[in-house]
Amino acid sequence: MRPLVALAILLSTPLVAGTLDIRVQDARGSILRDAVVYAVPEGRSLPLARKTAVMDQKNRMFIPHVLPVQTGTAVRFPNSDDIRHHVYSFSPAKPFQLPLYKGTPAKPVVFDKAGVVTLGCNIHDQMSAFIIVVDTPYFERTGGDGHATLRDVEPGKYVVHVWYPEMRDEPQPQSITIAGGERVDVSFMTQTHGHS
Amino acid sequence: MVIRSFQTKLLILLIAVLVLLQAGTLVSVHLAGQRTLRRTIDNELKLGARILDRILDTRARQLQDSLRVLALDFAFREAIASADLPTITSVLANHGSRIAADAVVLIGLDGTVTADTLGGNMVGKRFPFVSLLGVAQDRGEATATVSFRSRPYQFVIVPVLAPRPIAWVCAGFEIDDRVLADARRLTSLDVSLWSSTPGETPQLISTLPVEERNDLVSRMGEISAPQQIIQTNLRLGTATYVTLLEPLKTSDGSRVNTLLQRSLEDARKPFAELELQIFGLSFITLLLAVIAAVFFARTVTQPLRVLGDAARQIERGDYSTPVHVTQADEIGQLGTALNQMRSAIGAREDQIIYQATHDSLTGLPNRTLFFDRLSQAIAFSKRSGESVGMITMDVDRFKEINDTLGHHFGDQLLIEIGRRLERTLRESDTVARLGGDEFAVKFTAATQQHAAEVATRVSTAFDAPFVLGDVSIDVNASLGIAIYPVHADDADALMKRSDIAMYDAKKNHSGFAMYEAGRDEYTLRRLTLMMELRQAIARDELELYFQPKINFLSERVVHAEALVRWKHARHGVMRPDEFIPLAEQAGNIGLITKWVVRKAIAQCAAWQRAGLELAVAVNLSALDLLDSELPTFISGLLSEAGLPPSKLVLEITESAVMKDAAYALKVLRDLKNRGVALAIDDFGTGYSSLAHLKRLPVDELKIDKSFVQNLTESATDDLVIVRSTIELGHNMGLIVIAEGVETVESWDILKRLGCDMAQGYYMSPPLPADKFSEWFGTSQWGGVLSPSPRLRGEGAAGG
Repeated sequence: MRPLVALAILLSTPLVAGTLDIRVQDARGSILRDAVVYAVPEGRSLPLARKTAVMDQKNRMFIPHVLPVQTGTAVRFPNSDDIRHHVYSFSPAKPFQLPLYKGTPAKPVVFDKAGVVTLGCNIHDQMSAFIIVVDTPYFERTGGDGHATLRDVEPGKYVVHVWYPEMRDEPQPQSITIAGGERVDVSFMTQTHGHS
Repeated sequence: MVIRSFQTKLLILLIAVLVLLQAGTLVSVHLAGQRTLRRTIDNELKLGARILDRILDTRARQLQDSLRVLALDFAFREAIASADLPTITSVLANHGSRIAADAVVLIGLDGTVTADTLGGNMVGKRFPFVSLLGVAQDRGEATATVSFRSRPYQFVIVPVLAPRPIAWVCAGFEIDDRVLADARRLTSLDVSLWSSTPGETPQLISTLPVEERNDLVSRMGEISAPQQIIQTNLRLGTATYVTLLEPLKTSDGSRVNTLLQRSLEDARKPFAELELQIFGLSFITLLLAVIAAVFFARTVTQPLRVLGDAARQIERGDYSTPVHVTQADEIGQLGTALNQMRSAIGAREDQIIYQATHDSLTGLPNRTLFFDRLSQAIAFSKRSGESVGMITMDVDRFKEINDTLGHHFGDQLLIEIGRRLERTLRESDTVARLGGDEFAVKFTAATQQHAAEVATRVSTAFDAPFVLGDVSIDVNASLGIAIYPVHADDADALMKRSDIAMYDAKKNHSGFAMYEAGRDEYTLRRLTLMMELRQAIARDELELYFQPKINFLSERVVHAEALVRWKHARHGVMRPDEFIPLAEQAGNIGLITKWVVRKAIAQCAAWQRAGLELAVAVNLSALDLLDSELPTFISGLLSEAGLPPSKLVLEITESAVMKDAAYALKVLRDLKNRGVALAIDDFGTGYSSLAHLKRLPVDELKIDKSFVQNLTESATDDLVIVRSTIELGHNMGLIVIAEGVETVESWDILKRLGCDMAQGYYMSPPLPADKFSEWFGTSQWGGVLSPSPRLRGEGAAGG
């Protein structure tokens, strides 16, 4: 079934830097939390970020469950449990493994290619997490109200994406233009696994 | 065939019932066995199907578990994630062999085959078992039985997790002989399996023996069903199988047929043994029951047979053997009844035999028994050499005693005679009553002399007077003796000859007489005469003689007594004494009387016509007085001859009237009423009383010649009797006639005594008619010829 995508773009007051307000709900109208929304600039490349991020492992869980990072971000994988974990990824965006270890490995893993990296622990099958590597600094996760706001977005053309683990297909990305100083609202309706 | 024996019938019935019962039991056992067998087999098969299902299910889950573990292997996943096809293919083969998978296929999340261990011929194509994959996509994993490469396979599919599904790995396991062997071990059923994919040759795997398996291979095409069915009898090779066919659930529409089979022969074995045991038991039961039935039938029929034998015994006349009755039941009662019947019949037969062989009045043996005993005695004597004597005796004048003193007296007399006779004899001798007043005695005697002594002793039985009630009477008997072997050779002859001797004795008034040789001839002559007498009348051999009766007053003849003579060709002229008794005995007397009456009347009429005035007298027999036609007959003759009835005098003896007194009197009165004169003949020799005499309607009384013949002045007794009789007769108003007047002396005496008429040789013997006519004309007593008859004689004749 084709995903239903309702798109509404509202032009707000032009500013030097714009704001994107993105709302995500599923086909039934329920709001979605922790959906990653990100706006990829069109027609220009941004420099690799020299950022760091943390994917903690606590109580045999990855925390956070979904971690969006900008391409080039080095993610550390501290082990907060007193047992060993064996973190791995077979995702093409970043296959790697951190064989059994305790504490924080010396070297963080740099995610230098955009894509979804699925993390697992080889000895705890139930542990799972996602690192969403995006080629933009403009990304956010939806809050409890299903809204995410991207601020200080430089004017220009962007393609807005949404991703979350349970979604069936990625909704059609939405192209928007930030003229400056204005506020742009974007709405996504997604289809989630388990719903028809 | 008709079964007559009650025992056989009973036996057949009992045994038939038993056999039917047993057969029924066996049949129902057999049917129940068959039903149970079928149900058992069906249940076994259904259970087997479930077990097989469970085996496959368990195997699938185990395989699934194995595959799941395998799919979590890090290196495996790493290799899969490498996206290097040769590496992936090798890891599939490598890891697949770890779990003994026959085929391993890696499928992308989009359902396209990424890699396989089958030479890569599926790579890039859609995974063929779509529904299996669909289930896996829905539920995370799936198992299915499918037909794959013409063989039944179990396919298991699990995701490759990293940790999110990155692919599906599918492993296929052929269902092989080991699986079926397991099933066989658990179910004791033969299991066969084959998959049929259209266009492919199905491959059979089976636990059946080779022969049956080959047979099944050739018939796999026929055996098919959309759902579980049980086929009763499937013949494979030499064995018969109850077969359950179950198409296994497949995920792709391919068909995997499962056959579960139970050999009927094997399944039947325990039932067959059981049936054999039951049959054996039934047979023994039947045998025992038959023995019991035979015994029972015997106990029922044996007594019946005994009763039957007893009845036949009775039929044969054996009344002495009683039926041995031991039972108290109906048969016992029948036995008792039979016994009672037996003794009752015996008693009755004894009674009948007794009655048949004994005289009912005296209780003495009768003629039949006497004859038997005599015959036996003679037969015995033929060996012993002894003599057998036989006496026949006849009571003298018994008839008169009977008539006078009554039958009851006569009977008592006979009984007493029997008793006395028995007393004079030994136990071994026999006294019998032959009938009437005739008795017979049989005795054994050494000699003829001895026999005579016995006869004498027997005759002493009559010495003493018989006193019966108030009456004392002297009885005499005539005894005739004959002796074996002197007089006869057998009982029959001996009886006849003693009879002849008895008649001799009677005739001679001698008391007893021994048989004399030649007496048989006399008897024979008597018999011949009896036969000739009838012809004699026809041949006119009889002739009438006439003897005159002279009236004392007129001294002239007034009557002529007609006396019959028989001019016999061989024997000459015979007097009536010689043949009248024979005629009486032979029943011819009526003929003779009528002949005499006719002749006498005819002669009288002739004389009348010739002028001879005479009345004729004719003797009547006692038997004539029983003929009621006689008066009419006589009247007829008289009127025919034109004679008055007074011309005929009928003479009758006292005893003749005694015979059947009432009837005789009636006939006499009839005659008297017709005007015929009647005379009492031979008066003084009978037992008749005066009272009796008084009732007789007679006119004349003839004194017996025995009183007259020797009548002289000195014979006082006769004189007294004659005188008294004459007086008596006159007093009763009768004309008295004396017979047997042979001398002038008796003539004179009679004349003096006042006798009315005389008859005898002194005047004339009986003469033929012509001689008489002559005498009539010439004799001093001759009559006067008509028409001037002498009136003197008339008065006396008419009185």
